[in-house]
Amino acid sequence: MLYREAGQYKTGYTADMAVFPIAQDRAGIAIILAAVVLLPIVANDFMLQAVMIPFLVFALAAIGLNLLTGYTGLLSLGTGGFMGVGAYACYKLTTFFPEVNIVIWILVSGLFAAGVGVIFGLPSLRIKGFYLMVATLASQFFLQWCFNRVQWLYNYNASGAIEVPERYLFGWALTGARATPTVRYYVVLTIVVALTWIASNLVHGRIGRSWMAVRDMDIAAELMGIRLLPTKLLAFAVSSFYCGVAGALMVFLWYATGAEYNVFDINQSFYILSMIIIGGLGSVLGAFFGAALIYILPIALGFAVPALLAPFGLHIGADTLEHVRLIIIGALIIFFLIVEPHGLARLWQIGKHKLRMWPFPY
Amino acid sequence: MTNERERRQSNDIILAVEDVTLSFGGVRAITGVSFDIRKGEIRAIIGPNGAGKTSMLNVINGFYFPEEGRITFRGQTRQRMRPHVAASQGIARTFQNVALFKGMTTLDNIMVGRTLKMHKGLFWQIWRHGPALAEEVEHRKVAEEIIDFLEIQHIRKTPVGRLPYGLQKRVELGRALAMEPDLLLLDEPMAGMNLEEKEDMSRFIVDVNNQYGTTIALIEHDIGVVMDLSDRIVVLEYGRKIADGKPEVVKSDQRVIDAYLGVAH
Repeated sequence: MLYREAGQYKTGYTADMAVFPIAQDRAGIAIILAAVVLLPIVANDFMLQAVMIPFLVFALAAIGLNLLTGYTGLLSLGTGGFMGVGAYACYKLTTFFPEVNIVIWILVSGLFAAGVGVIFGLPSLRIKGFYLMVATLASQFFLQWCFNRVQWLYNYNASGAIEVPERYLFGWALTGARATPTVRYYVVLTIVVALTWIASNLVHGRIGRSWMAVRDMDIAAELMGIRLLPTKLLAFAVSSFYCGVAGALMVFLWYATGAEYNVFDINQSFYILSMIIIGGLGSVLGAFFGAALIYILPIALGFAVPALLAPFGLHIGADTLEHVRLIIIGALIIFFLIVEPHGLARLWQIGKHKLRMWPFPY
Repeated sequence: MTNERERRQSNDIILAVEDVTLSFGGVRAITGVSFDIRKGEIRAIIGPNGAGKTSMLNVINGFYFPEEGRITFRGQTRQRMRPHVAASQGIARTFQNVALFKGMTTLDNIMVGRTLKMHKGLFWQIWRHGPALAEEVEHRKVAEEIIDFLEIQHIRKTPVGRLPYGLQKRVELGRALAMEPDLLLLDEPMAGMNLEEKEDMSRFIVDVNNQYGTTIALIEHDIGVVMDLSDRIVVLEYGRKIADGKPEVVKSDQRVIDAYLGVAH
């Protein structure tokens, strides 16, 4: 009953083209934003460090991949590699120029990832679908090899890993061992919210439409005057920018102490890809749903399953719990994909549509 | 109506195709075909299956590169077109098999047709609010005019993949119109339609021609429609031109009757 648009009259095209045309949706977003901003008041460090920060980082990477795969229709398995470019670029930049604020370097490192993404996106003019995926796979392995073998990238550390130096933001420790999760959470949150807003702006405008046109029917898109190569390369650039920023955030504001090259391996690419498939291809919101399901749900189950069994006097071992967790997650993924192959975002949309009509079926 | 159209028509030639030859490996699709399209007319291209009609359209808007021959569009002569160049110079087109952007709404499909007219770049698109949104609203108005014109207001926000075939064809016409083309190429706009849908589509084609003054080149198999709508007709057979002229002349041409029209029994 609450979710009705009756009585909300649109008086101009601007109102009709708003991202959230319905007042209840706007209220919902405001509540969510207020909740995540106020979260550190009630949440403990574990909640911030192990749940919220990683969730936001993964969601950002998933948005990046979704711009490329979901919106432009270009399959990519290079996400891990592009995230790595962001992380290593940020490391090199901040060790070369320590006096520049780390937040600036995190954003700039995204530009390096964008550049690398454009180079590996060049084959996309000629090849599509699974073949392009194989080409991006090559970028994944090549970049990972670089992270391991090019010692310059990690400043010839004996450990062969990035060691995150201590950096400050307005006098607060932001990276390194002394940084508190609360400070890091707020910085991650700000960056992710800002970039989400930008992604949403892009996909709702001319550029987003060009991407979707290329995805749905590239021949017709060309005929509308959309040039395929620049459009696809822009998608690669923007997507890799997001992945690069996510990679830099991951190492500097989530791990906060350091990371080895194998963080950015092929599994990371699959992990992000599975998020956007479950969450919904071609949806910014879907990236958050996917990240929540793939990343947060296992953690939640880790608490929920023992808690549910405890009243019956049953105790569950750590390794059994791990197996149960995998079984439940696997079953849920299959369930959701059967119910709605277009992902959770579509499910959400259908739900909202039903709610608007309720109690009538149509 | 014919008189009205004749008055509007000039003898300016908007597109001239000269001696175009196209082959795929050993297969000759088009052999030395020449014809022209005058500004403001409805020009039909007919012929049996495999005659090279669609290939001809593909040559005109740059999907295929002819081996020989020249194409002159609005005074500029070239041997080959590129699709986006053709688009920016004012050639729009619909496809025989609907080639809409299936995952997008009717409105978004039509807005894609405005792409070439929109100029705010990445920097403005990032903020959206401000100049990019102002541009968006301005083009939305044009899109809404087209939606009005084609009477598809009720499906404005429906993803086109869910629409019935007849409406998809109409949306495709709308998307082409959004480009405000000088020359509109229609590849079998009425294929697979019932009588009512055909009448609607015919009306839209005539209205586009009258209201916007768009020159139209049309491929169609429904001879009744072709004879009624078009000012002049080119007939192709096995990649060669066998007739060219006004409907009544073409209709009584013996070669056309033998090759394509046949006789009533």
